Amino acid sequence: MDPRYEIQRRAGGGGSSNSSPALGAQSRRRKIPPRPADFKLQIIIIGSRGVGKTSLMERFTDDTFCEACKSTVGVDFKIKTVDLRGKKIRLQIWDTAGQERFNSITSAYYRGAKGIVLVYDITKQETFEDLPKWMKMIDKYASEEAELLLVGNKLDCETDRIVTKQQAERFASRISGMRFCEASAKDNFNVDEIFLKLVDDILSKMPLEIPNMELSNSILSLQPEPEVPPELPPPRMRCC
Amino acid sequence: MDKEESTVESKECSDRSELVSEEGKNLKSVLCQRCGSKVLCPGMAVFSDKELFLPPMKNKKALSVTEGSGDSLAAHWLVDDMYTFENVGFTNDVGRIKYLICADCEIGPIGWHCLDDKKSFYVAVERVDHA
Repeated sequence: MDPRYEIQRRAGGGGSSNSSPALGAQSRRRKIPPRPADFKLQIIIIGSRGVGKTSLMERFTDDTFCEACKSTVGVDFKIKTVDLRGKKIRLQIWDTAGQERFNSITSAYYRGAKGIVLVYDITKQETFEDLPKWMKMIDKYASEEAELLLVGNKLDCETDRIVTKQQAERFASRISGMRFCEASAKDNFNVDEIFLKLVDDILSKMPLEIPNMELSNSILSLQPEPEVPPELPPPRMRCC
Repeated sequence: MDKEESTVESKECSDRSELVSEEGKNLKSVLCQRCGSKVLCPGMAVFSDKELFLPPMKNKKALSVTEGSGDSLAAHWLVDDMYTFENVGFTNDVGRIKYLICADCEIGPIGWHCLDDKKSFYVAVERVDHA
């Protein structure tokens, strides 16, 4: 069959209907088919210990986080879904918490990442000074096309601020394509925007013609590939 | 027309017909029992009666310490691609197993994935809500 005439790509099943849309009367029992993801993107969150990487990820979609119920085994990664530009985007988010010694994060984390969130703590100078070391890792292992976003976290601790916004802006401006913003995972300030902005940037960069490659289902060899993206009007998004 | 399972046999059967479509798919959204985070959209998973062992949900130390306790569950939602999930978390490996947890509140385990079978991701019907 010709995939061009399929209304939904990869509809994840949904029966074996061959009903034509013209036969409306016969489609009485057909429900709206499950909507597949339009894009699949891998995002990693890196940064020195204690900067709040995990809280950024938890705050992303929900506030109901409760320490008592977390398993002690630890979370490896998460699949999260966002809607942007009318598209359904599945994010695979890797939090590198607990692996903050630069060389302990394996190159596999960086390899497939379409977006990298580099976090520091605005109240801790050393976490800002670590940034060049993190950049070295990014340069070494990450794809050149990966979107980079520098996040100064703990904006709720403004009174203890050590790293000025200007310092960080200057740092980000020296790295081509790096964006910068400040956020507070605690107050949930700018957190959603971080991810949406990053995803928006990734989508903007996507070529219009991409081979419709299937994603590997393997956890050990995650190489997310986008599906064919339709036209993408660029909405403006506020980040900082 | 004919409902094979509509005998007064057990409540489980009627429960099941509310959840599982004729094609064996989930009729309702699959949600986290605690925070309501959406795990699966309707129609995205198939019912499986494979029997799997899951450590208990409530006990914080369950996964690491008390290896013996837990539930043997035989009703699951099965998907073959992790990107079918709306929201879900994967734990670090426990042997060859990764447990599935809620992506938002991290309660779990709500499901099971074995690294040896890359096309099978199970969510325990008993450990999620349906709406």
